Amino acid sequence: MITQIQENGNQLIATFNGRLDTATSAATAEAVKPLLEASNREIILDCSQLEYISSSGLRIFLTIRKEAASRGSKVIVRNISADIRQVFVMTGFISLFEIQ
Amino acid sequence: METLDIHCQTIMDEYHASFPLMEKMKMVILDTLHQTLERIGMEVTAVEARIKTEKSLTGKLKLKGYKYQSLGDITDILGARIITFYTDDVDRLASIVEQLFDIDWDNSVDKRRLHQLDSFGYNSLHYICRIPSSLYCDPESPQLNQIRFELQIRTTLQHAWAAINHDTGYKTGIEIPKEYLRQMNRLAGMLEMADDEFSRIRTELTDYRRRVQQLVQNGKLDDVQLDGDTFGSFLRARPLDPLNRRIAAINQAEIQEVPLMGYLRVFKAFGCQTLGDVSRIIKQYSDDAYRLARHQLGNTDLDIISSSVGMQNICIVYILSQGGGRMGLVRLFNAINGENPQNELLAEMTFNQAENLPFMNNK
Repeated sequence: MITQIQENGNQLIATFNGRLDTATSAATAEAVKPLLEASNREIILDCSQLEYISSSGLRIFLTIRKEAASRGSKVIVRNISADIRQVFVMTGFISLFEIQ
Repeated sequence: METLDIHCQTIMDEYHASFPLMEKMKMVILDTLHQTLERIGMEVTAVEARIKTEKSLTGKLKLKGYKYQSLGDITDILGARIITFYTDDVDRLASIVEQLFDIDWDNSVDKRRLHQLDSFGYNSLHYICRIPSSLYCDPESPQLNQIRFELQIRTTLQHAWAAINHDTGYKTGIEIPKEYLRQMNRLAGMLEMADDEFSRIRTELTDYRRRVQQLVQNGKLDDVQLDGDTFGSFLRARPLDPLNRRIAAINQAEIQEVPLMGYLRVFKAFGCQTLGDVSRIIKQYSDDAYRLARHQLGNTDLDIISSSVGMQNICIVYILSQGGGRMGLVRLFNAINGENPQNELLAEMTFNQAENLPFMNNK
């Protein structure tokens, strides 16, 4: 699992590549720390290369969303596959995130 | 440029010397007003404060400097203003301000009560105040509790009228023709009526919400029309909690709270007219919504869900039970998730998952 963060103007774009599960969640949580400290930014979670997401991954997304809300940032989940979108529906997370 | 006479220049020197103190007072007043509004939970249009500019003071001194012995006689050097949404809030704030600050009653004016029966115009409440030492005390600046400031409280419409009136007439110093004055007064009368109407509407809306809350609490849901207000009251009674807890128990999941107001338009689209209609759908389809969740989540290890799962599954089950099919699900996902081409695929997957469940075979 590789997580990269790029800056594009006011946007912070995090790209996730691989499987975001219990085994990779600790490293991913560490990698996304800069997102938790960002204020008044648009945070894009680009999931075009994300193959799988478990509860641990959903919790990381949730933490990013909560921190963003408290710091005036906005989170957008982008390019999720149909399978991952199904996970978002089954868990009701589809109502928690703006998904593009 | 015309210079001030010695008397007025002395007042101007006093103004310059007291400027830092005025800045401090301004901060104390603004902080106090903001904290008070937050404490009583009142939303207002604006809270503002300003120190009279040197240019403005020069103009005033040139016009009537002879009236003032010292800077302390000019009560509007420091001015604060609260602009409310409603006239009722002006009265409520007035009573609070009277307790917050020491009021110089001899110089305070409720211009709303000064009107003659046949006149309209500038309506505002002006208090001349001091900061009491019980509110703020700085031993190094005792003057801070002695200098007076002006506090205006007015509604947004009063403020609009006053600002435009100031711009068209008073500020320019040109006496405006009587015809225009008459038109301004007509507008003032109209705004006064609008202010009263806004207050009346708010009072009626508050009463309506209380009545709805009572009906919801008493379970008389068929008597309550479905709208944003009533749906919000209904949700506050947490009618989905039992279903969400059952769904969470499938994988011992934690539940994340999420707003459900977006489902109002879904239930409207279902043809629900009253909260009773919504409640019946929830009751009738809860078991099947649970079975759908069990079918979806049972073979996963997903142990976190949002509180929208129950509502979402009820809607899915209702649509499929009514023969709404894949297109019905697409419309649902478009409504709760925004329009997205992937919603068709999602509808297809959800339809396939539900296909073998009992409610699909009983229809």
